[in-house]
Amino acid sequence: MMRKVFLIGIKDLKIIFRDRAALVFMLLAPFLLTIGMGFVTGRFSGGSTGITDIPVVIVNQDQRELGDALVELLYSADLADLMDPGAADDPAAARQLIDSNGAAAAIVIPEGFTQSIMPADRSLLFGQGSQGEAVPIEVYTNPSSPVSAGIVKAIVDEFISRVEEVRLCTLTSLLQLQAGGVNPQDPRVDLDSLLQSAELSQPASLTLKTNAEGPEAVDFDLLAYFAPGMALMFLMYTVSYGGRSILTERARGTLPRLMVSPAKTAQILAGKVVGIFFTGMAQIGILILASAVFFQVKWGDPLGIMVLILAAVFGAAGWGMLITAIARTPAQVGSIGSAMMLIFGILGGSFINLEMMPPFLRTVSKITPNAWGLDGFTTLALGGTAVNLSEPITALLIMGGILFGVSVILFNRRGVMGQ
Amino acid sequence: MRKILAIAWKDALIRFSSLSELLFFVILPVVFTVLLAGGTPSGNEDNRIRLLVVDAAQTALSQQIITELENSSAIRPALTSGDEAEIQFDNRQASAFLVIPEGMDAGSLQRGSAELTLIQQPNNLNATIAERAVLTAIRRVSSAISAAQQAVAVREAVQAFPTEAERQAYFQNSLGLAQSLQGNTPERVLSMEGATPDQVEYDPRTNSSAGQLITWVFIPLFGISALFAYERQQGTLRRLLTTPSRMSTYLLGTIFGQVAVALVQMLLLVGFGVLVMRLNWGREPLGLAVLLISAALSAAAFGTMLGTFIKTSAQANGLSIMFGMVFAMMGGCWYPLELFPPAIQRAVKVLPTTWAMEGMLDLGLRGGGLLDVLPESGVLLGFAALFFTIGLLRFRFE
Repeated sequence: MMRKVFLIGIKDLKIIFRDRAALVFMLLAPFLLTIGMGFVTGRFSGGSTGITDIPVVIVNQDQRELGDALVELLYSADLADLMDPGAADDPAAARQLIDSNGAAAAIVIPEGFTQSIMPADRSLLFGQGSQGEAVPIEVYTNPSSPVSAGIVKAIVDEFISRVEEVRLCTLTSLLQLQAGGVNPQDPRVDLDSLLQSAELSQPASLTLKTNAEGPEAVDFDLLAYFAPGMALMFLMYTVSYGGRSILTERARGTLPRLMVSPAKTAQILAGKVVGIFFTGMAQIGILILASAVFFQVKWGDPLGIMVLILAAVFGAAGWGMLITAIARTPAQVGSIGSAMMLIFGILGGSFINLEMMPPFLRTVSKITPNAWGLDGFTTLALGGTAVNLSEPITALLIMGGILFGVSVILFNRRGVMGQ
Repeated sequence: MRKILAIAWKDALIRFSSLSELLFFVILPVVFTVLLAGGTPSGNEDNRIRLLVVDAAQTALSQQIITELENSSAIRPALTSGDEAEIQFDNRQASAFLVIPEGMDAGSLQRGSAELTLIQQPNNLNATIAERAVLTAIRRVSSAISAAQQAVAVREAVQAFPTEAERQAYFQNSLGLAQSLQGNTPERVLSMEGATPDQVEYDPRTNSSAGQLITWVFIPLFGISALFAYERQQGTLRRLLTTPSRMSTYLLGTIFGQVAVALVQMLLLVGFGVLVMRLNWGREPLGLAVLLISAALSAAAFGTMLGTFIKTSAQANGLSIMFGMVFAMMGGCWYPLELFPPAIQRAVKVLPTTWAMEGMLDLGLRGGGLLDVLPESGVLLGFAALFFTIGLLRFRFE
């Protein structure tokens, strides 16, 4: 009995793997999209995003210590990979450049910026109105480059924060001296060395410990999330393609031929399911292998991977059978399958991380094999093993079981296999 | 002209013979636009990254840290219990959580033994942003202490304190002064979005809406190839040979019909953006119309060209979705193009989706008008001419 089921399954697997267009869609499309995700996430450039060489225009009208220090920072070796700074003289021209999408941001350091924070006449530091009149730096950002603009803003903010810190230290010391009856202009008060020591001081009284370094640190490869995300999305196409073959065979008359053979209806249906299962396994297996070979993706525990693929394909195949049971023509299976592939792809986290979605949608995503599969793949990539996969695997098996059950009922009710 | 209209009508009937086509025509584009736009809230919503904070200290200092976190432009603290934070973190519903440990107070700060713990998901951009924001917040809290400590050191260098009590009092006064100065610090960075000629408000959802519109209009237009393959498979293309219709009439009819359907689809999606998502697509209708027609023509011409390379409608369906998705992703329709490395940004200029998206952003985000989108429209029409010429040269009825 099993031999017949197996033979039908192998026959369907061969048919699919002879269809070059299907192969392109099943294998090449997810592979290309994974490469795209690799660029977006900076996986191929070694960063947390693909962003490098952010074009930024600097207009330094201050031409004093602090203005020059900011320019120096933006041109520094530390930011050499991230920033691509250029100088301009005219703020209006710099803004125009941003409006015409010529750069991500313009930084205008106005005349008097240094003077407003660190006046040449040091007595102004602690005189009346010691907070001084603000002469703010202008960061003019390109709305169509929100991430780059955000990075530029963060760099300027951090610079200002450091400057403010020095100013706060100096001002507090001087004002306190004055309040205590000591003349801040007393020759014993060396303002320059005070400023210097404030610049060097590190506010170490409150520290931050993270789990990103040390023994608790985990090396997580973003492609270990996005590659299976794309593979699982196109798995939905594969399972609907497999399901479509039942209706195609019926339309072409090869299904009735099978029915008159000694094989039982249940064996034929089981063979079709096994065919879908084999194809899905082959597809995900090839994509995972290719990602490991070409992109050196570390997938984690091999046993866990095997079990997870089996469960994910089972869950997805259940959806494929349900579509086949509902649809009337192979074309309908194709379009519903493609639509479901895309909906499950976005709901299951193939395009955007599920944590960015509202709680309601995160709950809805549980109906997709993509969400459970991705959950499992992420667990493995984070160092988990097959033992940690009980929840996604159970969910996928239950999903597949229920969907197969419903599909068989619908098949019988509609007499799909009997006609 | 009558023949062209008849062919266009016939193609529309074939395409919409199954109701499932409506899925791709309007339902999926709307679902994707809403879902992807959901990840980028509008200007009225708090779009800062949520950071779970476990305040086990419950002291004035911990409150000060939380207040500083609330002032952050990047993150918004959400107070929760330690257990709940761990559950959410383990379920990957939170990028990071911050623990303010028991016993953290001004004393521990002075002793230099105050340490916060930030648990982050690995290689997670939001977790990295949260770390920067937490560092900024604790730097602000710390800097007042540092300033007070510095003030004590400066005073001691000039004049020693007679007693430890006076030294301590001087420290407390300095701390109060530093905090007061900090609270009154003027704004030193003025951040402005790119100015637009009118009062158009920047809305990041515009990016999602534009990207999805292009994606979902391009995919079916690439699918023109499936129409050719279908007719070729059915033998109806050969029948056309027996009619007095020219090949150009047939191609024009097919392309005209599909472009017209695409324009209706675009109109629906633009309408959805304007009426439901309150986006400003209606601001420059002429510029938008020129750009969308150019984009539709380039996509239709690509579909025509593709149709001359494939044999079956199944092949065409798969390839048109694949090309549509890859072109959309690489053209910046799903993620901003700025995220791609510069070399890739230059390379993808060979894709029509890149130019279509650029034009949409000119209109939607940069406040551009008809003149601003003419270069993109010109390039798109150039693509259309190129693809159509190749398609025409390769086209065969059999």
